[in-house]
Amino acid sequence: MHYTRFEKARIIGARALQISMGAPILIRVPKKMVDPVQIAMLEFEAGAIPITVIRESDIRPRIEWE
Amino acid sequence: MAKSTLSKEDVLKKIAKYVKKKKYFLPPGVQEEMAEWIVKEKLFDKIEEFVDKTFEQYRRNMIEPAEACGIVAAQSIGEPGTQMTMRTFHYAGVAEINVTLGLPRLIEIVDARSTPSTPMMTIYLEGAYRVNAEMAQKIANKIEMTRLQDIADLRLDIENIVIYVDIDEKSITRRDIKREDIIDKIKKIKKVKVEEEDGSLKVIPEEPSYKGLLILAENLKKLKIKGIDGIERVIIRNEPGEGYVIYTEGSNLEEVLQIEGVDSRRTRTNDIQSVARVLGIEAARNMIIEEAHNTLMEQGLHVDIRHIMLVADIMTVDGTVRAIGRHGVSGEKSSVLSRAAFEITVNHLLRAARKGEVDELKGVAENIIVGQPITVGTGAIKLAMGGRRK
Repeated sequence: MHYTRFEKARIIGARALQISMGAPILIRVPKKMVDPVQIAMLEFEAGAIPITVIRESDIRPRIEWE
Repeated sequence: MAKSTLSKEDVLKKIAKYVKKKKYFLPPGVQEEMAEWIVKEKLFDKIEEFVDKTFEQYRRNMIEPAEACGIVAAQSIGEPGTQMTMRTFHYAGVAEINVTLGLPRLIEIVDARSTPSTPMMTIYLEGAYRVNAEMAQKIANKIEMTRLQDIADLRLDIENIVIYVDIDEKSITRRDIKREDIIDKIKKIKKVKVEEEDGSLKVIPEEPSYKGLLILAENLKKLKIKGIDGIERVIIRNEPGEGYVIYTEGSNLEEVLQIEGVDSRRTRTNDIQSVARVLGIEAARNMIIEEAHNTLMEQGLHVDIRHIMLVADIMTVDGTVRAIGRHGVSGEKSSVLSRAAFEITVNHLLRAARKGEVDELKGVAENIIVGQPITVGTGAIKLAMGGRRK
């Protein structure tokens, strides 16, 4: 699935907030990495973030691109 | 490289099939252009690859959902608009026809006026009419509106309460009008008798009165003898590579299209509303795009056509041409808060309170007032916990 840049930003942002509040990290990250945003980005790259986007297209059918 | 040539239609079919198989979406225009290129460059064994690449490019050029494209379009048209000349009256193409251009024209297009301030038509001709000057002139005569004052002099005889009409023979033969036609037309006016006297026409009102005579004289002057309503002046030009083309001041698409010899497919007007009436809303949309783009280009301003397309789409979505003013699309705003944020705040709020209006908080301004994220860009995305990405 392809994410728009807005979706990517929202997902990483939401995940970074969770991590900053102490949520367990889902992938292995370098020891020195402490910035929650950086960690969230790594998780995003790895596809490990347990968050889904609710799209308008999920409700209303439209032409299939992807 | 064995089977070397395919026709454009065959290529188009192959493209369509592949597009369907891959569940791609490509507009027909793009598919056609692809087919043209494939035929031109002889890429028959690479059709699939070609389609893949094109689709990739197409997708990359698409705007992402939740992007504030309206604001981008508004600014992209607005900024160059500040540099437009305020008043330009350009003599377009033909040296004698005056056309509104520049900022006034752009405002006119966006305002969806019922008639442009300088209506104008370019009438293309068909077949023999295109090459034969006499036949072209005939059409021009049929189209140009001729009033009695253009072909005759009026003399008022106040003593006897009659009006003498002296017809200028030269101009009626040039305009292809018969004397009898004029008499018939005058006879159609109520309560009037027409007699011939010494080569001029004597028009006698049945109820003689001084005031009535003056009114009759005015009516006679304006009496339409021939032509199409609204078309004030006609100019015929011989365009190289085209033949005779008729330019007119004034526009009446409905009737001009019905005249024999007029090429109804190429004839143009600058009256958007009449195009919407006669040819439909899609034609009006295309015309808004073209006219707006041309007026901007003419001023040396390069605005991406997609911004203008968005504006034209919004103006025509509901099947009629609606104006876009400083309040947005006319009659669009339902939200009290966003109206109040713009002008005469207190009045709007008071009225809304009295009527008990409900605000759905769907727009941008309302959400800012309330202190919520706006439904644009990142703010438009809803997330849910759980679920798995592929």
